[in-house]
Amino acid sequence: MIRPYYAVILDSFHAAFASRILWIAFLAIWILLACLAPIGFREDFTTSFRIRDFENGTRLKAMLASSLADAKSQSPAVSQIVTATPADLKRQLERVGQGDEVRIHLQVLADALNGLLDTNDWYDADAWQGTQRLRERRELEALPPRELTDSQRRRLARLRIEAALPGVFSSRSARSVLLTYAGFDFPASFAIDKTQFLTLVNQWVVPTIINWLLGFVLIFLGILVTASIVPDMLEPGSLHLLLSKPVSRTGLLLSKFVGGCVFVFLCVTQLVVGLWLISGFRLEVWNVRMLWCIPVSVFLFAVFFSVSVAAGLLWRSSILAIGITCMFGAMCLTIGIIGGLFDTLVSGPTRIRDLAVVDDFLLAATSGGGLVRFDATTNRFIEIFESDVFSGDRVLAPVAMPTDDPNTSSFLTAQVRGGRFNPFGSGSLDLLLISSRNNWEPVPSLRLPTGTLRIDLLPPDRLLATNAGGLAVTTLKEVQRSAGEPTEPAAGSQPTDPNSSGTSSPDWIAKLAGMMGGATTGFQSILPRGIALTPPRRIAFSPEGTAIYVTGGGRLYRVAPVDPSQNSLWQITSEIELEGEISAPVVLACSDSILLVARENEPLYLRDSKTLEVMRTLSTDTGVAPLRAVSLGRDDSFAVLASDARCRIINGTASESDTPGASWQSSYTLPIREIEAIHFDAVTKRLIVAHHVDQIDFLEMQRDEVLAPAITTVRRIRTSLSSWRLVDRYVMSPLRMIIPQTGELGETVAAIVSGESSVAIDSGGIGDEPEIVRYRILRPVLSCAGFIVVMLCVSCVYFSTRDY
Amino acid sequence: MQPTKIVAVDQLRKTYSHWSRRKSREIHALRGVSLSAYAGEVFGLLGPNGAGKTTLIKILLGVVGPSGGTASLFSQSCGSRAASLRIGYLPESLRIDRHHTARSALKYYGRMSGMSESAIGRRSDELLELVGLRGRDRESVRRFSKGMYQRLGLAQALMHDPDLLVLDEPTDGLDPVGRSQVRGVLEFLRDSGKTIFLNSHILQEVELVCSRVAILAAGEIRGMGTISELARMHGEPKTRLDLVPGNSTDRHRDLAVELARCLEIDQTLIQTLPLPEMIRLELTTTRQAAIDRAIDLLRSWQYSIISLSVNRPSLEQTFLKLVDTAVPPDGEASVLAESIAADTQSIASSATVSTSAENSVT
Repeated sequence: MIRPYYAVILDSFHAAFASRILWIAFLAIWILLACLAPIGFREDFTTSFRIRDFENGTRLKAMLASSLADAKSQSPAVSQIVTATPADLKRQLERVGQGDEVRIHLQVLADALNGLLDTNDWYDADAWQGTQRLRERRELEALPPRELTDSQRRRLARLRIEAALPGVFSSRSARSVLLTYAGFDFPASFAIDKTQFLTLVNQWVVPTIINWLLGFVLIFLGILVTASIVPDMLEPGSLHLLLSKPVSRTGLLLSKFVGGCVFVFLCVTQLVVGLWLISGFRLEVWNVRMLWCIPVSVFLFAVFFSVSVAAGLLWRSSILAIGITCMFGAMCLTIGIIGGLFDTLVSGPTRIRDLAVVDDFLLAATSGGGLVRFDATTNRFIEIFESDVFSGDRVLAPVAMPTDDPNTSSFLTAQVRGGRFNPFGSGSLDLLLISSRNNWEPVPSLRLPTGTLRIDLLPPDRLLATNAGGLAVTTLKEVQRSAGEPTEPAAGSQPTDPNSSGTSSPDWIAKLAGMMGGATTGFQSILPRGIALTPPRRIAFSPEGTAIYVTGGGRLYRVAPVDPSQNSLWQITSEIELEGEISAPVVLACSDSILLVARENEPLYLRDSKTLEVMRTLSTDTGVAPLRAVSLGRDDSFAVLASDARCRIINGTASESDTPGASWQSSYTLPIREIEAIHFDAVTKRLIVAHHVDQIDFLEMQRDEVLAPAITTVRRIRTSLSSWRLVDRYVMSPLRMIIPQTGELGETVAAIVSGESSVAIDSGGIGDEPEIVRYRILRPVLSCAGFIVVMLCVSCVYFSTRDY
Repeated sequence: MQPTKIVAVDQLRKTYSHWSRRKSREIHALRGVSLSAYAGEVFGLLGPNGAGKTTLIKILLGVVGPSGGTASLFSQSCGSRAASLRIGYLPESLRIDRHHTARSALKYYGRMSGMSESAIGRRSDELLELVGLRGRDRESVRRFSKGMYQRLGLAQALMHDPDLLVLDEPTDGLDPVGRSQVRGVLEFLRDSGKTIFLNSHILQEVELVCSRVAILAAGEIRGMGTISELARMHGEPKTRLDLVPGNSTDRHRDLAVELARCLEIDQTLIQTLPLPEMIRLELTTTRQAAIDRAIDLLRSWQYSIISLSVNRPSLEQTFLKLVDTAVPPDGEASVLAESIAADTQSIASSATVSTSAENSVT
């Protein structure tokens, strides 16, 4: 029965191989592959400093200047380093130490440090006594100096410099990948680590090739070649002969359709298999998923070919079929671009990133650098700071501030001017008190430490500010007092900074301390020495606020006050080295007895909150990165938001996690999709979930005896949409569903090739979460598949019912 | 024994609707056609351009659906899989994709007919031999002449050894040699007992090959039967005698009347035509007894008989006679004319295609 159709498809291969255009395309593909084949890479230790390695250049400048001005103000190691720097730089640093505004380019600092890598004169074991010794450094120092290769020697020098200057450098992999061409290094410096390299290949190079080379060039070529298939078939001498055979018209048309895809299949297969072999043999990236590009590209071609077939049936002209298909392609492109603009300009900036709740009031920070308050009377979000895609400002995640006045609801936040792409922003950074008493007008309070990245309420009555270099706390009363709010008489003395140099220091010392991110007036620096708060940094604290958990430089620390009852120094009580890649982001959340530690491509660890010993592990889904976790207040339960925009409820004490190989897949997943942010309100014991841009659900959970918690949605916020949002929802979204979004198939390809549903874009140390771009995997596939089915159905009905 | 009916068409009608910007028009391509073709016979369908021949064949193949009436092949509905498996079809302007050789084309169409690979190989050899393409079977069809192309088309139609061959103008556009070659194949097939439904407007070809003929004009069957039956129905054979009068010519001034009286036949069956030096006498009979008596009488009346010939009406005469009397019903004449014009245009355009194909071949 299917033999005739098989014959038609087989004949298409025959016809394709007889086509000169196919062989020209093959030749072009082979030339391209031959040009790409010499690309290779070499892996070496990460040694030289590059501008991107500096997480806080200002701090480096300040540390070096401070050490030069007063050798005792910094560790002896810094003094050793600054002594060995070139004379020019030293002169500039001296001027910085004297309080002058001197701009030193990061490249100058990098060159100075790179100059130290080849010599060992500046190193003094005693001076480095108090610095952090990572495992890699210990292993290299354990080797006899004569056995060290040049690369290892330079690597060791770099590790010593990094240890001497904590809080300055971003975490980098121990080994870097350098691209080569025919054995020669690329002229431009292009050193990235292996993980970044894989991400680059899988999420950028391959989708780009698919989008442009396959998505445009080959498909256009394919349409040119195949547009004549249907008009040729409809020629009387051909059609009548075909229809006299024992075939159905529908089957014949579908066979011709499949046969038409053969041309593109042959070209794409050549190209993709060639790229796969090159990436495997030359770059050691044997990613079998790359071969999925073949069916995806043919699928993409099928969308356009279905239009070409329908046009060919209607007008029996290959020229018209090509013209109509090109017009259709232009329409898809236009709708895609307009849709993308709507995403960027309309819904993107209003996405809720963080939220806080006090009583019935809700404050949310948006992706567009805005701050909004929900107004129940108008059922709208009222903007406190405007959300704008072009805004360069950043708003810190708001925190609820407990007050003594039962009639007042207050929040704390801060707006970092120009802080979207620069952690330090511009101008001074004031803590803002936003309360119902002031009619929700922001009131400036204490000045936050330079480069503050987030603020947290540290129970019971302190505010914790985290910046690039440290942690600082203040009391809420101090915040209120500074904001001009009435407060009860101070119970104790004003907080002092036992770790700081004291108020008696000269101005320039204070200025340098400020540059380094030190505590400002009213704040107390609590980060013990020896902790490098380098990205990926993350903090969490115990529900009582008696311990803070900090990650930095691939290590996890538990920090607690020496004497909780007094305003004393904080010290490290436990520390461990984290599993996995040093530069991978970490997610932390702490309950009464359990600390949850999650990283991408690593199991989820439930550790003892005091000893940091692993209590249980849960395997996670490959390609799904945890983004945020919150403790649910009791039963040692956690809610974990992942990059797939779903939220899983992890029960730390559940017996199912005791079994070996337990997975978070067995944990309960909230039945809400497209989750933007989660927040747990400790007062009302409610989990608040922001999803679908700016919809908010308040959930109450009662855990039953078995597995799934009984969840009740106690409140929903569905605000009235703005006119542009209405257009987006009721015009653009249906349009983007009906018109196949062929451009978005590139995202599907990226997801398939990388095996991940999203890509994390390094925020460059701004904020503690990378920016997540979720791939639209299903929508383009569904809209394209639906379109193909509809077009083929229409074509088949037309072809079957028409007299020829 | 009654021969098996292969093609059965009963009161078949086909109306094409044509929408233009101003109004819709209907073209009646077939107006109640009824015919039958039996196993083992070569059935010829004759008709002028625009008569509805191609429409009838399209309906038999299932390419076009009828507007009324019934048509069946092997008692199966036209276009059904069962019927299609038993038909071999050669279209009027055959188009074989240019990437094929004769052998690969036969393989392709064999697969299309559901044949196995071994059967295709075996049958290809036989047919290439039959149609005289052995030795050219690995050449691209681009290099084929029109005659070779048509013979290849015939081979593809025969690939699955069909019970019925439907041939649409198989020798159209061929030179005499090519025509003779194709006709040779048809005669071979006829002699080997194949049922053939031949659509042609080349009367000589039909006359030579077909055992039965239907004449179609303006969507109607104007005559059907063997060629002699058609001749009988639409024109009696005549015996012609050229005479030179003798001495007693004056006695028989009214030769026709005298002859009718003497032969005791109707006078209307005898016509005389005075020529300058002789008289032409036409007797509408070929009965030997009547001719013998007529000769005896004429000799007895002193007439010298210069020549004697028996004239039977040719198929062309019959055809022209039937087609000339084809007057469409009132009010549809213009439509028919347009239909014929349209068909002519279509054929002209296909002829153009053929020409261009031929050019490309050469």
